[in-house]
Amino acid sequence: MPAVTYALALIIFGSGIAAGGVGALLGIGGGVFFVPLLHVALGFPLRTAAAISLTTVIATSSSVSAGRSGEQLINLRLGMVLEVATVAGSLLGGLTAHLFSETTLQRLFAIVTLLAAASVMGRVNRRNVLLHPAAHPGALGGRFHEAESGGVVTYQVKRLPLGLLTSFVAGNVSSLLGIGGGVIKVPALNAWCGIPMRAAAATSAFMIGVTATGGAIIYYGRGDLPALAAAPAVLGVQLGSWAGIRLAHRVPAKWLKILLVVVLLAVAALMFLRSA
Amino acid sequence: MSDERDTIDDLELTLGRLLGIGVTASSISLGAGLVAAVTLGTGAIATFLLSAGVLVLLATPITRVVVSSIGYARRRDWLFVVLTLVVLTELIASIAAAVRGH
Repeated sequence: MPAVTYALALIIFGSGIAAGGVGALLGIGGGVFFVPLLHVALGFPLRTAAAISLTTVIATSSSVSAGRSGEQLINLRLGMVLEVATVAGSLLGGLTAHLFSETTLQRLFAIVTLLAAASVMGRVNRRNVLLHPAAHPGALGGRFHEAESGGVVTYQVKRLPLGLLTSFVAGNVSSLLGIGGGVIKVPALNAWCGIPMRAAAATSAFMIGVTATGGAIIYYGRGDLPALAAAPAVLGVQLGSWAGIRLAHRVPAKWLKILLVVVLLAVAALMFLRSA
Repeated sequence: MSDERDTIDDLELTLGRLLGIGVTASSISLGAGLVAAVTLGTGAIATFLLSAGVLVLLATPITRVVVSSIGYARRRDWLFVVLTLVVLTELIASIAAAVRGH
């Protein structure tokens, strides 16, 4: 493990800011970028990189959810249902690691993110909103006031099994890749399950903390989580999510989707490169 | 038909506050630990503060699941009590795995 110098702490702090900002805007914890940065660029062992990344994801999730509570964007009931699948996936994470080589897993992940990017891109101009704001949102749907359209937005949850499967997979690769899985949860919720972009992002941000906790605890127990290296990331996240939450209101849903597509394409490219 | 989605959800506010307190307490401890590490070196004080910060952060989502469960029990929403307890059991299984791996 590299020694934690001032320069290294600053790089980790800066990455934490970026992770917090992206988490607030898109509901993604940023672990998918954090791990290659720490492992490939900064020379941390893979397990340590994953452990620091998972810690950062927990910080982003907690910080963003705290800042967004009271806006009715976080769909608590849907989140709690999907968490059962995501934490179950995380518990069975060892199984996937056993079945696939890391290279295969990275290629599969790249293909999934490419599909997700295409799905989100195809819906950039469409909105998951019911025609009548007063309509009942069903058992798991939701309602929130949206500044962008100036009205109340009501939505229902569609294709719940697909949401459960995606959450399971996200949890399953969580500890191995050091991610909270927001990067596949947000497109699935938005493009497949009928959740408006802002609610998808807020609900994913809420869930990724619990997804990452199982893996983070196991790494901590094995002594793979250096607190000195994780600390600057957590502090950076606080700053980044504070700024991101304030920015999120002013960014139209369409631009959030375009940003999500860009992030997904970057993730796919990164995963293909790492598996090559 | 009206339910908690038509008003600001108390549970959402409670959980938000809880997560905010957890991550802030953790950040203060980690920040103090970094300052201690820089000024006093990586001795016992820095190690304690940094470890405490990490542990508080790891405990935050777990506490959130426990409080969700209590919140749904108060509403007598038993399906969600069961769902949150399943998540809690899964997390406790991770802790058990971590303790065994130590």
